[in-house]
Amino acid sequence: MTHDPRIEAAALDWVVRQRDPAFEQWEEFADWMAQDPAHQEAYFELAALDAELADLPAPAEPAAPAANDDPADDNIVPFAPRRANRRAWLTGAIAASLVGMVSIGVLNRPSDSYRVETALGETHEVKLADGSRISVNGGSSILLSHADPRKAVLERGQALFHVVHREDAPFRVTAGEAELVDIGTVFDVTRIDGRTVVAVSEGAVVYNPAKDNVRVDPGRRLVARDNGAVRLGAVNPEAVGGWQHGQLVYDGVPLGDVAAEISRTTGIRLRTTPAAASITFRGALQTSTGEANLVDDLAALSGTRATQESGGWTLSK
Amino acid sequence: MDAVLLAHRAQLIRFLESHGAGDAAEDLFQELWMRVTQRPTGPVANPLAYLYRAANNLMVDRYRADRQSRVRDQAWTEARGGMDEAAPDPNAEETLIAREQLARMDAALSALGERVSRCFRRFRLDGIPQKQIAVELGVSLSTVEADLRRAYAALLVVRRQSDDA
Repeated sequence: MTHDPRIEAAALDWVVRQRDPAFEQWEEFADWMAQDPAHQEAYFELAALDAELADLPAPAEPAAPAANDDPADDNIVPFAPRRANRRAWLTGAIAASLVGMVSIGVLNRPSDSYRVETALGETHEVKLADGSRISVNGGSSILLSHADPRKAVLERGQALFHVVHREDAPFRVTAGEAELVDIGTVFDVTRIDGRTVVAVSEGAVVYNPAKDNVRVDPGRRLVARDNGAVRLGAVNPEAVGGWQHGQLVYDGVPLGDVAAEISRTTGIRLRTTPAAASITFRGALQTSTGEANLVDDLAALSGTRATQESGGWTLSK
Repeated sequence: MDAVLLAHRAQLIRFLESHGAGDAAEDLFQELWMRVTQRPTGPVANPLAYLYRAANNLMVDRYRADRQSRVRDQAWTEARGGMDEAAPDPNAEETLIAREQLARMDAALSALGERVSRCFRRFRLDGIPQKQIAVELGVSLSTVEADLRRAYAALLVVRRQSDDA
């Protein structure tokens, strides 16, 4: 097949522009598509590629801690270099080859920021100056500020917030496009694949106060996609943050998210095929039962098949 | 959402047709209807843009499903043509292809240099807007655009190689 570079460039332009949740020029796009079947072919090829970049099983779960000079117990890294080598979707070997690369971008951020990063299966508790606590699950990254202890940016992964509530200075958590403001105390935030999931155990949280202004009460779970779609569901308030004690309870959560949470919490490399990822999962799991038992339980409860491969497991339909 | 779907029926059908839906446009509109109404959504700022995006996703998903079944048929034929073994498990097959492709895509990105691959990852995996990436990396917006182009072009090459393999 021949590929016209001008058409490809135009198609890519559309794909990139459409990634912006605020993209609105759909009619102009339709005109372009209608002009030539070659436009359609080029666009679909690129759009499918783009979609699959999110679907590839490995990226969803952070790689094992890359071989690097990390002091074993020191999760708190000064806010600078070394980020590329922790990229979630790198395989170990490739990650190792990137060690030592300096990422320029972070240097522009305010110097009082610091980042807490955890490897899979490793949790870490941060105590803030105001008495609030943040439990950071494995495979996660969170950005905090010395100057302003009332804000946090969840870059990826999951964290449970025990916030000391202050009327005059609400605690703010940013995750992707979502902004959360506490009007209470205990809530869990997960950042995965362009989605932010908030589960509230005590008190309440307001999602995007300036725009959507959705209140999330105890026992509610909000899923906000970066494209703006928001969904509210139920969650057992007792189960929120259960990963802290190795107790994972799900009531209607996509299996892909369950697998990712297990990976973060236990360090077990667990992936799902795209078809299995969308299965709605209900059930309770104990992480203390051992790797094989845990994976077996999960497979049995979800009606999937678990295959063990080098360094991990795959659940398939 | 039902009312919005009805009010914009003609536009949405035209949109599906522009994506090559042909005679199937009416059926696809029904599918779109199902998709949109079965998934409860929160407040939507611009309902028509939301529906166009949903229609676009529907057409891209269809293309991907077609493509995957083509790849699977081919893998099946090749496996049968090679040795008379038990049928390969399509899921295992896909996982394998995906993982191998991932490693190659990763290598291709890294080969483009730190700035390009970082730019791409911030954009595609972290969902950071181009303007912000430009600020982060201390480069111009057009550099970010050019980097994204190079990254996508490289990934497309990997994809096509895998398909031809």
